[in-house]
Amino acid sequence: MDINDLAERLKATPLSQAISGSDTLFPLLECVHVLAVVVVVGAIAIVDLRLLGLRARGRDIHELLNQFVPVTLGAFAVGFVAGALMFIAKPDTYIANAFFLVKMGLLALAGANAVAFHLIFSRSLARVAAGVAAPLPARLSGLFSLSVWIAIIACGRWIGFTT
Amino acid sequence: MLTAFAVWLRATPFSIAIASHDWIIPAVQSLHIVMIAALIGSVLVINLRLLGLIETGQAVRALMDHYLPVVAVSILVLALTGAVLIIGEPTRALFRITFWIKMALVAAAAILTWGLSRFSRTPMALAGGVGAAYVLKTGAVIALILWTAIIFAGRWIGYTEGWPGAPQ
Repeated sequence: MDINDLAERLKATPLSQAISGSDTLFPLLECVHVLAVVVVVGAIAIVDLRLLGLRARGRDIHELLNQFVPVTLGAFAVGFVAGALMFIAKPDTYIANAFFLVKMGLLALAGANAVAFHLIFSRSLARVAAGVAAPLPARLSGLFSLSVWIAIIACGRWIGFTT
Repeated sequence: MLTAFAVWLRATPFSIAIASHDWIIPAVQSLHIVMIAALIGSVLVINLRLLGLIETGQAVRALMDHYLPVVAVSILVLALTGAVLIIGEPTRALFRITFWIKMALVAAAAILTWGLSRFSRTPMALAGGVGAAYVLKTGAVIALILWTAIIFAGRWIGYTEGWPGAPQ
């Protein structure tokens, strides 16, 4: 079965029909999705800008991670569920949309970067105290994260202009 | 008068330039959302701290001094990017009730944030009494509700019809 058949079968489900058949459900999901996205990016930016040494230089990086990673993960879960429901409502238009596909690729990159960051730096950053610059690889990871998330926002916005 | 303004605006070279390039509106909207992320990240830290839910090891005043300038700059850039969006499509948002609801909510949220900042400097708040904590926590809950409503209203502008008599 190819991807288009899968999209058609998804579209025929009661859940898909319920969302796409309502005037308000899809916009409401978009509102929740945007809210979740800005919380995710806002919280990640606080950590990334500290890694880059541009903001909160006086703060212990490990402490910032402890404060903001839970916020990021919680908001991401909400955004993911809202986004998945939007996808279920019109899977055929999303899989045919280049910006959607690029956005999914960028999300995978952001996720891989976050996991790699956690595995490689979380121990060593425990020793990066307040006022101390992050090591160069950690700074690059922060720059990559911030850039990818901004690109994710742009792709997400552009999806709406191409369907 | 608003109609005349919109019609005049649409004939300006700046408006024509924006409208003649398909990528400008989505690009400016993307920048608008990135700045909303900066704004929401900042107000979230301030208000969740007031509620004692995050950054409890940091002083409220220190966090406000760190994040309030970001709030102010974000609102300024949001006003500018929002203005570009209106200039590009003058007959769109200005004639939709959700846009004006959003503006009223932004004014309320900005005034509330300023008020909470002022209040947090008062001797009463610095003394850390139960009454002051109650005021700050209530304000934080209202602020978070307002910012959420602003995001919902912003998204809903695109789903609102212009009011009767709006120019096409």
